[in-house]
Amino acid sequence: MLSEEQSQKHITTGSGDLNNILGGGIHCKEVTEIGGVPGVGKTQLGIQLAINVQIPVEYGGLGGKAVYIDTEGSFMVERVYQIAEGCISDILEHFPHSHEKSSFAQKQLQPEHFLADIYYFRVCSYTEQIAAINYLEKFLGEHKDVRIVIIDSVTFHFRQDFDDMALRTRVLSGLSLKLMKIAKAYNLAVVLLNQVTTKFAEGSFQLTLALGDSWSHSCTNRLILYWNGNDRYAYLDKSPSLPVASAPYAVTGKGVRDAGNSNHKRVRVT
Amino acid sequence: MMNHDQPSAKDQCGKIWSGIQLLKDTTENKHFLPTGLEGIDTLLGGGLRQGQLTEVTGPSSSGKTQVCLHSASLVAAKNMGVVMYLDTSNSFSASRVATIIDGSSDLFELGLDLQPKDMRLKSVMRSIICESVFDIFALFEVLHQLEVSLLNDKVNNGGSKMCLLIIDSISSLLAPIIGGKYPQGRSMMISVAMILKKLADEHNLSVLVTNHMVSAGNGAVKPALGESWRAVPHVRLVLSRECGSNICTATVLKHTLKASGRTAKFVVPS
Repeated sequence: MLSEEQSQKHITTGSGDLNNILGGGIHCKEVTEIGGVPGVGKTQLGIQLAINVQIPVEYGGLGGKAVYIDTEGSFMVERVYQIAEGCISDILEHFPHSHEKSSFAQKQLQPEHFLADIYYFRVCSYTEQIAAINYLEKFLGEHKDVRIVIIDSVTFHFRQDFDDMALRTRVLSGLSLKLMKIAKAYNLAVVLLNQVTTKFAEGSFQLTLALGDSWSHSCTNRLILYWNGNDRYAYLDKSPSLPVASAPYAVTGKGVRDAGNSNHKRVRVT
Repeated sequence: MMNHDQPSAKDQCGKIWSGIQLLKDTTENKHFLPTGLEGIDTLLGGGLRQGQLTEVTGPSSSGKTQVCLHSASLVAAKNMGVVMYLDTSNSFSASRVATIIDGSSDLFELGLDLQPKDMRLKSVMRSIICESVFDIFALFEVLHQLEVSLLNDKVNNGGSKMCLLIIDSISSLLAPIIGGKYPQGRSMMISVAMILKKLADEHNLSVLVTNHMVSAGNGAVKPALGESWRAVPHVRLVLSRECGSNICTATVLKHTLKASGRTAKFVVPS
């Protein structure tokens, strides 16, 4: 089991600092929840991961495909194209001796190919979301090269129009167990993007992840994205093997990168 | 007409113990299995008691999985017996077990750190049986098979018998079925509770389960699984952790031998 773990590759987030606090990147066989206020970059990170999972094995990636389940309609194809181009230019920069790699691998490095390997599902209600996840198992049995499933955002359809809270808890915990099972059985990473809400606790209002206390136990790891002044930070809130830690990151024209140079950063819009 | 196939009433009601036999059994057989986390072991009066069901509950990321991982690692490393670890959130990691053993001061005292690291880890991992369980029916199946194997004395690692059963977390498995108008969920929960207690008693196991918290109104939280579950575990601990630190606090909710309400702090080493 240990040797299996050690050979497990991680999906890079694009930012070295972020990868470090995550222990190399997003882990396969685990469910990672990423939450944050609107505008902090959750969807950007989701799209970045959908691209990064496809980095060919020759260049240190997983060479897998992605499933993107979109509940809010925030998947902008033009932005995905831009991020794919940014990823390719970084790969070619990092591996300048590209004549050593097969020319076939290089030809595959086209943004169109990256877009083609993302399976996109748009769901418009919570019943569609449940159906999509139930269908996922069959889909993954047929498409064994999928290495990441991203759900953006898992909470959207469950926040409104749900009268029976107990039913919501039951449905959500059933959903999370199914996702855990899929992650383990098909050796892929499951990334759930979540929104925040305010909670009245200890006499004050606090920002907390949506869907309540019972949902907070349904993931293996949790990453919280937040603003610190004008900089974006990520805080690893829950992990079975890593200590809690924070790291800065930036969203640039090319995608999610390290927060080093502030030239191309997208600024906070409030 | 005597029906010789039916067992007589005497066989069916099990062994009848006298007080002296019980005391002898308790002192000789019902040992405390240490968790390796000082504060917790003190609160528990030595560790997880064989023959008893111990529950660790707390909000998300308060250290429950760490208690499970530490117990499993230490019991296996000290060759106290075989550990069965049922994982519902893909949190069991062999590399984390390795880190725990390498950092453990207990082993240093016992001189067990003299073996080469990888050999030590291999022998520890052989004593831990880890299975992923993602729904309540799978849990019943696993427990049933365990019962059969234990009766046939098949669960051992070179002579040592099973002594610890960990379910992390039992509340995730029960959450999709309890609540609502239908009582089947609660009856399944009580069935699981009875099977676990029977296993603990008949095969001298210590059973450790984790539970999560739900809201109790007015911002307060309480352990999940409701009133019927409250009476089930012999010992209940509540954990909490301050944001950003690795010092956790444990409070005794219920204990068969000691007073409740005592707290202790413990550090989760990274």
